[in-house]
Amino acid sequence: MISINDAIQLMYLWTHEISVPEPTNAPQFLVDVVAETLTQHGGKNWIPVIVKEVGRGEYEVIANAFVYAAAESAGLEKVWCIIVDQIEGAEYVTKVLAGEIVPKLNLATASYEQIQSALEYVSEKPNSALKGFKVIIAANRISEAPRQGWKNLDELTKLKCGITKGKKLDALKEVFSLSSPKTPESKVTEVSEITTPDQTIANETSLETLSLTALKALAKDRKVKGYSKKTKAELIDLLS
Amino acid sequence: MTESSLLQAWRDLPTDAQEALVTANFAANPLFAALGFNSQERLPSFQTGIGAKAVDFAARHNTHDDIFLGNKSNPYLLVELKGRDINLAAPSAQYLSTVRQLHEYLISPNCHSSQWGLMTNSYYWQLFRKHGKVVFPATECLATNEENLESTVKLIREKIDNPSKALVVAVYNHKGGVGKTTTTINLAAILNLLGKKVLVIDFDPDQRDLTQSLQRPAKEVTLYKCLDDRRLDPIQAVQTFALKNKQGQEFGFDILPTDDELAMSDGGRYLGVQQQVKKSRLSELIDEVFRDKYDYILIDSPPNWQYFSQSAIYASDVVLMPMKHNSIHSIENAAQAIAKLIPKIQQERQDGSPRVLPVFFNGEKITDPQREAAEKLIDGLIVKYKRLDRFDLTTYFYPRRYWRPASNDRHIFTLPNFAAISSAGFSHIPAVYQNKTAREYYHGLAKEYFLQ
Repeated sequence: MISINDAIQLMYLWTHEISVPEPTNAPQFLVDVVAETLTQHGGKNWIPVIVKEVGRGEYEVIANAFVYAAAESAGLEKVWCIIVDQIEGAEYVTKVLAGEIVPKLNLATASYEQIQSALEYVSEKPNSALKGFKVIIAANRISEAPRQGWKNLDELTKLKCGITKGKKLDALKEVFSLSSPKTPESKVTEVSEITTPDQTIANETSLETLSLTALKALAKDRKVKGYSKKTKAELIDLLS
Repeated sequence: MTESSLLQAWRDLPTDAQEALVTANFAANPLFAALGFNSQERLPSFQTGIGAKAVDFAARHNTHDDIFLGNKSNPYLLVELKGRDINLAAPSAQYLSTVRQLHEYLISPNCHSSQWGLMTNSYYWQLFRKHGKVVFPATECLATNEENLESTVKLIREKIDNPSKALVVAVYNHKGGVGKTTTTINLAAILNLLGKKVLVIDFDPDQRDLTQSLQRPAKEVTLYKCLDDRRLDPIQAVQTFALKNKQGQEFGFDILPTDDELAMSDGGRYLGVQQQVKKSRLSELIDEVFRDKYDYILIDSPPNWQYFSQSAIYASDVVLMPMKHNSIHSIENAAQAIAKLIPKIQQERQDGSPRVLPVFFNGEKITDPQREAAEKLIDGLIVKYKRLDRFDLTTYFYPRRYWRPASNDRHIFTLPNFAAISSAGFSHIPAVYQNKTAREYYHGLAKEYFLQ
């Protein structure tokens, strides 16, 4: 049986209680036309706005801002909303499911088919930096490279399959990520380690996952002297 | 007797028995014994490595110190069970979804070693064979009753106990000029470079492109003579295409070339081959002589729907179909072959095969407007065949929709042609052996369809 606490909360909320930190990119005319359509057909937003509660009677849109924009333009006083639970990751999942964030494919574990599909996606986007890119060849090389041991995505440029530093690599960084299969959440922890450098990192393996630049930044924050000319291994010794 | 306990258990199952009951009272005990697996050779709820998805049973024969129950790896047979309340008769919706489920398990990360997949609800049975990453039917969807239950299970066991080494692939499209011969020889070459033993059969005697392009004319004992006269040894007809690299390593593949007699035998002034050799003869010849000697047997077939192409398809496990995005006929013909022609052979064979692999584009580079035009044509064909023939072509053209029906991913594998591939004809050496780019593209083709 599903507990009542697990049910998704659908509520009819006051439009004025909702703020939109990340507005929709849709052009004004589209919002207006959709608003008109909404009004003509009964004024019920069958697709809910997804919000989170930020205070008493205060909500913030986290996905489907377009629906909110249309409802507001249609002059609806209240709008149907789903209130997302205040649990870790819920907001991220919502944005991913709404297609507003494209999650990244972990190159350490991705299958050949997944790599091929991701490369196609990037190269077929309008104005793609990878126009005319040889997807089959690149997919082959990437899938056969020793990806589990890669420290960062710059390794892609060493495969000689048309991926160069700059625009092309950046375009790929939008779909690929890299985290070792043993510590699947290391990507998240890495970020927090860099932003809060005061906390001591006892674990050597997590230091090894950091790039040289990140290690130097860490050394600077910890006021370690003479870090700038050290190699990566030496830096890890110094910091751990 | 195992046999009678199987029948006993089958009779005792209520007609609406659900999956748990079929599993406990029929599969776990008498069925696996009848298939030749003891209790240390099977595992229930075997994790496939795709999320939390588990197949109902995995099985493998033990060797003296390698007990499947203990090390839980490298399964040989996967069994997906359903309740008697589930309609597993082809082509019900539940049948189709179970086929897909079993297919996914067979190619899952933890089941690379699997070679067979069996699905049953105790009334209906179907066995699938896996070779590399290719999954194809080894039987039709068989209905059982008290009379044929034991013989059906026996048939399944015989197949499982005797896997054949080779995958037989017919390269076919009854539109000419789509690159059948080029595909065949380069696929043979790349599979060979990847360490596989390959035989190529030139079964297009009118064009003889393959035999000519590799300059391997027929010998004294010819393919035609072997088809006609069972006393001859077909191995005598095999030619070898071999090359040496600078390090002195030898590589290459075997060829069964075509010959004049075969060319003249297709109607015309002479008594046609149809009157002397049955359509199933090539299939028999392959099964009896070549199937256990090679990893792959590729058949180059003619661009028509006559004796030779029908024989080639009759002899194959799977059909690989090149098309050209800028040739409307090659796309329309592919649709017709998949929906109308090849099903006739499937009916004759009565074992569910050959399976048609998803089509691919072979040839000139494809621009966005061209791709859109081709997709529009394909979409139209899908609608037409669904309405008029009740045949769903979708996944033959858009294979990713098979796994993700709700996604509109229209990926069609595309192998661009370029100078190196077409000019290789002059040097009589497949492009794959000469050109790195060609090698990588054909490696991509081999991966897309055959290798796991």
